[in-house]
Amino acid sequence: MTVSPDWSWQRVALAGARDALSLPAWIVGFGLVGIGSLAHDVGYPVSVAVLSTIVVWAGPSQVLFFASIAAGAAWSAIAIAVGFASLRFLPMTVAILPLLRRPGQSVWLQLLLAHYVAVTAWTEGLRRLPAIPVHQRVAYFLGFANTCMTVSAVGTFVGYYLLGELPIPFAAGLLCLTPIFFLVSLSAGLRHRGDVAALVLGLVLAPICQRFIGGGFDLIVAGLVAGTIAFLIGRGRRPA
Amino acid sequence: MTPPIAALDGPLWPYLALLLFAALPTEIWRWLAVLFARGLDPDSPLLDWVRAVATALLAGIVAKLIVAPPGVLAQAPLLVRIAALAASVAVMALGRRQMMLAVLAGEAVLIGGVWLTGAG
Repeated sequence: MTVSPDWSWQRVALAGARDALSLPAWIVGFGLVGIGSLAHDVGYPVSVAVLSTIVVWAGPSQVLFFASIAAGAAWSAIAIAVGFASLRFLPMTVAILPLLRRPGQSVWLQLLLAHYVAVTAWTEGLRRLPAIPVHQRVAYFLGFANTCMTVSAVGTFVGYYLLGELPIPFAAGLLCLTPIFFLVSLSAGLRHRGDVAALVLGLVLAPICQRFIGGGFDLIVAGLVAGTIAFLIGRGRRPA
Repeated sequence: MTPPIAALDGPLWPYLALLLFAALPTEIWRWLAVLFARGLDPDSPLLDWVRAVATALLAGIVAKLIVAPPGVLAQAPLLVRIAALAASVAVMALGRRQMMLAVLAGEAVLIGGVWLTGAG
């Protein structure tokens, strides 16, 4: 939807919300339904599940957190695994902030904007923001991202109670939405041979490392080894 | 799971654990990006490496969720879980990156597979 430069910020935010509801909010919302049931399985209250969607706002971190608790991993290992799995937010946020930044903007507003950076708001933001007048981008982005977050919070809440009641094929299907959604989002973002190598090596190495390295550190080792090899492959193909 | 310090155990522990071990290690990178974004070149080799590690980590999470799945997903046979991922990737590769279609294809294979194998 196009945004006119003379629109009020409310109208621009609404346009962002409408764009989110046209599909992206539903994808991420369904993707986080499984989080609710994972929280349910480890005996945490529904408020923790919903809060995790709002304050963490990163599917992989949430899955790692609840699934690691279920697996009995050490707290330090959980925090480190979550930290490494979230490293991607550094380059992602660095990439999107220039589109949202304006002179005189407070650091607090930028910290707030950065909080919404996750797969969906990021890929869609990079795609849609350049077409929007600079002074309206923050309102648009907040309208878009908050809509995604609200739909996802409801999805997490529903998943907490619903998954146990569903026939097993459908419950399994909802839980499988998370890995399928991650893999599809990753495939959508592939740009060159190095990206493909990182994806394939990560997929292959993680289960191998899981077999030989315990305590929740297996994922970090797999990511570092696979990522470094992929980085070298990507660089080897680029003209110097 | 019990907290590292026994005195922290109680109804508030899940909230504290969420903030300390999930929210903080996730949010820290977004904060660092805001504070250091000015000095970083988005095309620098360092960020290329970070991006590659991040992609591999996400792929690793996907593999872990499929090989050692949480909850009732464990009742779906491994072959069905892998076939579901393969179907999604195939649609992405063939279907000009139609994300919704790819997700639906993977889901159809998983739900159909569980149904047909009678795993439920």
